[in-house]
Amino acid sequence: MKENLPWTEKYRAQFFSDIKGQDIAIQRIKEFLKNFPKKKSLILHGPCGVGKTSLVHATSNETESELLELNASDFRDKKKIADIVGNSIQQKSLFKKSKLILIDEVDGISTTKDRGGLTELLGLIEKSYFPILITANNIWDKKFNALRTKSEMVQLKEIDYKIILEVLRKVSTKENLNVSADVLTAISVKSKGDMRAALNDLQIISQLNETSIINPNEINERNKEESIFTALQHIFKNSNIDDSMIKVFDEVDMSIDELFLWIEENIPLEYKGEELAKAYNALSKADVFRGRIYRKQHWRFLVYEYFLLSGGIAASKDYNKTGFTSYKKPSRILKIWLNNQRTMKKKSICVKYAKHTHISIKRAMRDFLLIKIILQNEKIRKELKLDEEEINYLNKLD
Amino acid sequence: MEYYDSEVWTEKYRPKKFEEVVGQEEIVKRIKALVQSNNIPHLLLAGPAGTGKSTLALIIVKELFGESWRENYLELNASDERGIDVVRQKVKDFARTRAIGNVPFKVIFLDEADALTREAQQALRRTMENYTSTCRFILSCNYSSKILDPIQSRTVVFRFQLLEKKDIKKRIDLISEREGLIISSSAFDALYEASEGDCRRVINLLQATASISPNITPDLVNTIVSKAKPSDIRIVLDYALSGDFANSREKLLDIMLKESISGQDIIKAIQKEVWNLKIDNFLKVKLTEKIGEIEFRLVEGSDEFIQLESLIASFVLAGEGKVLSNGKVEEVRSETYKGGI
Repeated sequence: MKENLPWTEKYRAQFFSDIKGQDIAIQRIKEFLKNFPKKKSLILHGPCGVGKTSLVHATSNETESELLELNASDFRDKKKIADIVGNSIQQKSLFKKSKLILIDEVDGISTTKDRGGLTELLGLIEKSYFPILITANNIWDKKFNALRTKSEMVQLKEIDYKIILEVLRKVSTKENLNVSADVLTAISVKSKGDMRAALNDLQIISQLNETSIINPNEINERNKEESIFTALQHIFKNSNIDDSMIKVFDEVDMSIDELFLWIEENIPLEYKGEELAKAYNALSKADVFRGRIYRKQHWRFLVYEYFLLSGGIAASKDYNKTGFTSYKKPSRILKIWLNNQRTMKKKSICVKYAKHTHISIKRAMRDFLLIKIILQNEKIRKELKLDEEEINYLNKLD
Repeated sequence: MEYYDSEVWTEKYRPKKFEEVVGQEEIVKRIKALVQSNNIPHLLLAGPAGTGKSTLALIIVKELFGESWRENYLELNASDERGIDVVRQKVKDFARTRAIGNVPFKVIFLDEADALTREAQQALRRTMENYTSTCRFILSCNYSSKILDPIQSRTVVFRFQLLEKKDIKKRIDLISEREGLIISSSAFDALYEASEGDCRRVINLLQATASISPNITPDLVNTIVSKAKPSDIRIVLDYALSGDFANSREKLLDIMLKESISGQDIIKAIQKEVWNLKIDNFLKVKLTEKIGEIEFRLVEGSDEFIQLESLIASFVLAGEGKVLSNGKVEEVRSETYKGGI
């Protein structure tokens, strides 16, 4: 079972001692618990993947408390919150001494959609007998003024790349990976302090095998734009096409090509069956408009592209969806890039072969399965002037 | 007969003279006459792969220029060049200097010219006109319909036919005699079967097989054929029909990347495979219609993978006995639907 888990879950910290690089934050949490109920809630805020949620889980383990978890999407309405949390606040935990309440990603609460959600949360803090831990990426919006004054604030910093590197090393030893030190360093640096991102990258790379030949300088810069998550959530959860749907990408600082990739990656996480087919149909039509723009330079078609990407995808379902979905960052481009790295030698062999035999490189690439058998012949290798690396590549095949 | 100095049989046994070419008798006769007059027009050689287009182009320049053919000949492959500007620049650089020898022009062979877009072909047309005094173009393509009319009208078009079995046999017999191979007639049948009339492919298959044993048997040929066969697209479809979109998508990307197969080729393979699926006939018709629609979008759109994903999402739906047409989901005569895969 554990084999199927994303590594970010598999290797999630269990205790304070597992959490690297956040010593000050740990200290602050300990003080908060000691002084409870001087302040009843604590906000852990900071960028993605620095260990906010992990800290909460570790706190629950360290204090042997039962953890009651709520996501932003559970705040749809007042009643639901009151039903879940209201009960637990009043009742003592059945099995353990104490309880912790986790409000994950509080900045996902929308003041329009989740009418009353914030007020309800403030009320909870007032009434609660148990510590409430809140995580957020950005807590500085003015709608959180009241929440901030009520709570202890702990800011988490981006994790130092050396600490990320250390974790990646341990994971690759445990997973028996053959990843070169250069690559691990590159992943750590490029993650810009985001442990989750680094672990995800490592996992993707490991699934593609032959991990040691990646050029560390070129691993994609991580896009840390959080706004895309909000936009995706809006599109995938709502079926109503209104003004906010039309403008859903306004706040997202990304090219439309990137939007395509994000949506493409995440459609199957939200939709199944009919919805899946409809959503991909909309995406496919959007891509046709994109192609026409490229060819005809008719930029007005952008309107349709954007509309199909937002309204088209949203209207693929009949009803609004609830629940929290953890959206994934697009992996296709990285896979293509890694594949190109892996097939670089194949390409260079095909270039030589193609020139020698008057065919196109593309055709040589396509016929490579046959050509590589012919290239077992030493004399032919010499005739094509294959270099040592190319010969090594051929020898390693099969 | 003389042979090229190469261990790659497609090169070693590439015909060097008009007389050595198998098949295409009419074309050879006419081109030979043109070459003997020492002045050729622009040529368009159209026809399937492995039928002798590049070979004839090479023979033409060797007959024209003799020993100095390399200096007077430029070979470009349209599907590998990064756009018409690169082609134009290379043509310009090459055409700047006069031809060496008695022939007043140089020859540019542009292989797979049908890989050029309409716009690129327009540009090519102008380039051809600009350099007519110093250069002759030989274009090759699989389908002449993909070449703009203005270009076709400026060239003499030769349509190459698929080689007949007896022609290919001639080639194979010659090679096996020279290389000391023993080929049973059933082994030759297996080679021919796998080649689809593509002479280059036959020779490559023969060489690959001979690298294992000089005694060529049908079994040995089939072993090589299955080794050289690209991954089965069927597995992608099976995953989709059984409702597993995630694995279907992953396998699809895997095949496209690892084996350098284009979206166009994938869709061709899917279209052929649909008739082998164990699904309702009406569903086959509907799916084929969908495949056609997606192939159209693939040509019009910009991201092949997105189009193919959309297609496999339709297969997921088909697995439930439903199709999406005009944005609406239709149940396909569920009483006759056999279900599953």
